[in-house]
Amino acid sequence: MKEYLPILIVFIFVAGFAVTNVILAYLIGQHKNTRAKLMPYECGMDPVGTARQRFSVKFYLVAMLFILFDIEAIFLVPWAVVFKDLIYKLSKPFVFIEMMIFIAVLFIGYIYSWRKGLFEWNRA
Amino acid sequence: MQLENLGLYYWAIAPEIIVSVVGVIIMMVDAFSSRGARKLNAVIALAGLIAALVSVVMLDGLGSGSYFSGMVVIDPIRIFFSVTILLAAIVAALLASQFLKDEGLPPGEFFSLLMFATAGMLLLAGAGDLVTVFLGLEIASITSYVMAGYRRYDLRSNESSLKYFLLGSFSTAFLLYGMALTYGAAGSTNIQKITAAIASGQVNYPALLLIGAALMIVGFGFKIASAPFHLWTPDVYEGAPTIVTGFMGTGPKVAVFAAFIRVFVIGFGPQDSEIGIQLHTTWVTVLAVIAALTMTIGNVIAISQKNIKRMLAYSSIAHAGYALVGFLTGDFAPVAFYMLAYSIMSLGAFAVIQLLARAGDQRTEIADYAGIGFEAPALSFSLAIFLLSLAGIPPTAGFMSKFYVFKTAWDMTPELRWLVLVAVINSIISVYYYLYPIVVMFFRPLVPGFIKPRIAGMTMIALILTLLGTFYLGIMPNRLMNAMSRPPAVVTQITVK
Repeated sequence: MKEYLPILIVFIFVAGFAVTNVILAYLIGQHKNTRAKLMPYECGMDPVGTARQRFSVKFYLVAMLFILFDIEAIFLVPWAVVFKDLIYKLSKPFVFIEMMIFIAVLFIGYIYSWRKGLFEWNRA
Repeated sequence: MQLENLGLYYWAIAPEIIVSVVGVIIMMVDAFSSRGARKLNAVIALAGLIAALVSVVMLDGLGSGSYFSGMVVIDPIRIFFSVTILLAAIVAALLASQFLKDEGLPPGEFFSLLMFATAGMLLLAGAGDLVTVFLGLEIASITSYVMAGYRRYDLRSNESSLKYFLLGSFSTAFLLYGMALTYGAAGSTNIQKITAAIASGQVNYPALLLIGAALMIVGFGFKIASAPFHLWTPDVYEGAPTIVTGFMGTGPKVAVFAAFIRVFVIGFGPQDSEIGIQLHTTWVTVLAVIAALTMTIGNVIAISQKNIKRMLAYSSIAHAGYALVGFLTGDFAPVAFYMLAYSIMSLGAFAVIQLLARAGDQRTEIADYAGIGFEAPALSFSLAIFLLSLAGIPPTAGFMSKFYVFKTAWDMTPELRWLVLVAVINSIISVYYYLYPIVVMFFRPLVPGFIKPRIAGMTMIALILTLLGTFYLGIMPNRLMNAMSRPPAVVTQITVK
């Protein structure tokens, strides 16, 4: 179990950091509470009310695009970190081209959603 | 770790690459062209599918082996099932052109979804590792969920899509949990390594392996629509656009059968160790019961159906049951042959139903078929032939495939002869409901409001192809059967080429 000790320390540090910040903000920050500020955060929607209310499907489209590029970044960072190691173990063009294919596929998706008018918010 | 040791060999996944790239090309064509590019999309899709078919045939020349660290294998199972999947996709693409025009639906997304679904199914058919099985299954399923709801202003289509999505995700969770437990027991996700672990008796917790196998049976059983996991089938098949129903009822089922065979028949096959014997006898018994249930429930409930799409949904359940009988023989050839024959005749039947139903699937009740036999003879006779083939009347593909499955099961597994008897009795039951629409079509007064449907060129080609296939497999099955039965059917070890 000893090898898990660093993970436990990280947990404690993260929790401590978050709690400390909230307490500090509570103690030394200014409080100008409005109704909107005191509402539970629900992605910009009214958290209480009918669940059958309609809202734009763009909400999901943007969320999906965000996740897509979020994941791209998540894959890119570890690739960049181990890139130098990998090019000695494998071959240089291979490591580079594989990632470029991945980015190209995502980029095509980006062009597609652009051409389909996903970013034109005034259109119905 | 060297590059050479990874078994990277891109020709081994050439069909998947071709189909995916063509899907992306169609997306781009759709994005940069005006709305009139339906024919162009269809032609690109067909060219891609035919190129993939050629590449599958060329894969056969490579011989058996496994690539990408055992993630993908090439063996006769993959070749035959991939050909079936691609043929189903080609027929669906041919039919889709007229369907999209008549319904006024956007063509680009449909063809690219069709391509991605096909890529997923091909991957599933060639998966040598539980991870690739899951990956292929998800690609194929998620695109199918979208395609089921493709007529998006139609409530039934939405219902179909949502039901398929919820129940499909639920069953995938079972499958994934089963895979996780199997991994825990055998120490690997590679099917060949799992087999090796079982054969040597080095399984961590034997109970874990049995539970894992049981959960995987639930997951696979759902996807092939076997009882008692069949309840989604009629609703989903009824609500989805008819072309999509035809494709969903064949392509994914074929692909899942390929993976099912590779995991169970080969991966969990009879081994010398104690756990190997226990596992094998257990799943054979379970699947024998499931097969008997599936056939009986499918056929008996189909009798009471008034809607032809629901009737064919239950018929598809029953056919999964017959294919499972072939599955239990421990040989892939009867199942591969059965799925090919089933795909051809089922797609043909759905093609005719699509034409007769008109835009929005308005006329899918069997009562709507009254008296049309001599009004639209080409369509009615085609439908009659497909239905007779589904019933298993010679000289059609349906007869030959049933005969092949039952004969193999009778000869190779004497302890399962009771199951063959159940299957034969069930085929007799099924004749009733397959003949009923034929009687209605030819021997009832003409239903009011019947308009003879227009048949576009591509639809005509699809109908002719399926009709020819039905008779070819029924009259001259030798060539295909001989090709399938050549040894060895199994990849024995991980070889890097």
